[in-house]
Amino acid sequence: MSGLVLEALVAGRVARGGADFRLPPLDLAARPGEVIALIGPNGAGKTTLLKTVAGLIPPLAGRVSRPGPVAYLPPPGAVSAGFSALHLAALGRAGRRRWSPGLAPEDIEAARAALARLEVADLADRPFDRLSSGQQQLVLIARLFVQDAAVCLLDEPLALLDPAHAQAVEAAIRALAAEGRIVLASSHHLPFAARADRVLAIGPDWIEAAAPAHALSPDRVRALFGVETPGCPCCGQALS
Amino acid sequence: MDPLTRQRGPAASLVLALLALAGAATVLATGPLAAPPEALIAALFGEGPPEAELALALRGPRLLAAMTCGAALAGAGAGFQILFRNPLASPDLLGVTSGAGFGAALALLLGAGVFLTQSAAFAGGLHAGALAVACAALTRSGDGRLALILCGIVVGALATAGLGVVVIAAEPYSQLPSITWWLLGSFTRATGAEAVLALAPVALGAAILLALGFRLDVLSLGDEQARSLGLRATPLRLLALAAAALMTSAAVAVAGVVGWIGLLAPHAARRVVGERAGALIPASMAVGALFALLIDRLSTAFGPVEIPVGLLSAAVGAPAFLILFVVTSRRA
Repeated sequence: MSGLVLEALVAGRVARGGADFRLPPLDLAARPGEVIALIGPNGAGKTTLLKTVAGLIPPLAGRVSRPGPVAYLPPPGAVSAGFSALHLAALGRAGRRRWSPGLAPEDIEAARAALARLEVADLADRPFDRLSSGQQQLVLIARLFVQDAAVCLLDEPLALLDPAHAQAVEAAIRALAAEGRIVLASSHHLPFAARADRVLAIGPDWIEAAAPAHALSPDRVRALFGVETPGCPCCGQALS
Repeated sequence: MDPLTRQRGPAASLVLALLALAGAATVLATGPLAAPPEALIAALFGEGPPEAELALALRGPRLLAAMTCGAALAGAGAGFQILFRNPLASPDLLGVTSGAGFGAALALLLGAGVFLTQSAAFAGGLHAGALAVACAALTRSGDGRLALILCGIVVGALATAGLGVVVIAAEPYSQLPSITWWLLGSFTRATGAEAVLALAPVALGAAILLALGFRLDVLSLGDEQARSLGLRATPLRLLALAAAALMTSAAVAVAGVVGWIGLLAPHAARRVVGERAGALIPASMAVGALFALLIDRLSTAFGPVEIPVGLLSAAVGAPAFLILFVVTSRRA
């Protein structure tokens, strides 16, 4: 598996009347197995960048070369489905079943295994809509294992989660990467960024990929969010 | 939903389908020209007693038409509810029913016969659906589903306005009653040939929806998720919409405007088999066939005057829907 390469990629949206939203050009080469945290203030363009890398929005300029299928996961609470968590996880194989009207038994087994791996096997038969945000997020990450995409793009995977679920989700993200997938996850939870392999920061008019120690230093965080940080601005925890 | 839901999908659909068939046999075995079930089965293969063959020839087409239309409306309703992830979605979502009503009324105004009227209804329904989809394609809203719903309302309103013009222009003593009667819905008109003609588009639409299977579940998550899961969301959604519109148009062309089946049957079926499209669509079709059968039987049950099916469907369907809704919401 080769890496994900962005060449002078300009993500953004064109609006009528010249009020375009465009991010500065970005060059990035992500290696398989790498977890990259995407940080930046609300409205900076994190979701736009993720969707552009996913191919859901066309880039305004530049190129994305993807090593394989790319999966995009919206923030917790954005996916709603009345059927069971097991079926939702099994739908990760939807792209592989070209002609059959149903999923294959091995798809269901793969989903069951993925749920068990993230220790949510007991949720398999519950309707997805009835689960908590944290449980839903774990089920959706289980679907990423089932889907086996080379690149996993996660939009705010830790939003709305309590500390225990946040820990479980972060461990699951790490497990995704440990099998050679590239994970790009946006988050406002800076300790998560501190534990990532690299941090991609989107400022008002700049975009920069760096090691966590540099990207999360007090002056960089001030430049990004405009706050002084002896620790994490969201939870007070010490950064890098 | 309990852990059994996953396994009991196909079995439950089969049981519901058998129930609908048993309902059909019961209807033929009671009422005018009643014949016992075994005589009817023999008559199906051309070896029954003459009275059973007569019952089959005279009442069979109407029965077939009722069940086909019920299944079509329910299947299309279930398809729309899944695609739009909206429990209020019904077969006339894209303005198909109003378009078909307008087409039929226009044909009646121009003095067309039964077959031409039904063809006009079929064409009107499909055109309305296509127009709604085309209008929605012009918009640039993020998730196309809202645009489709709004465009369906617009097209439906236009067709209803056109229908109003036709009603005003119609000759009040000769044409108006037939238009009104058509709009209220009935299975009386169905001959054997028409029932079989309606069966073809309904079977095609149902086959498409059933073949889409789990892809409908993926589409219900939204286009973005569908594309992220490796499906070509836009063509698949168009295919599903076309299938549902085809089924609705065929049903309305034969039976006129029969509401509520498409809303009620999927909700009832959902209580039994859960939300998965692969289970919900066949189960809904079976429930719809059964409901249409009962409604049709009721329509002739009160003396010599036949009550329009559309009226009965609303009179029975609306309270049944309310009860179902109350029971479901209290259990949740």
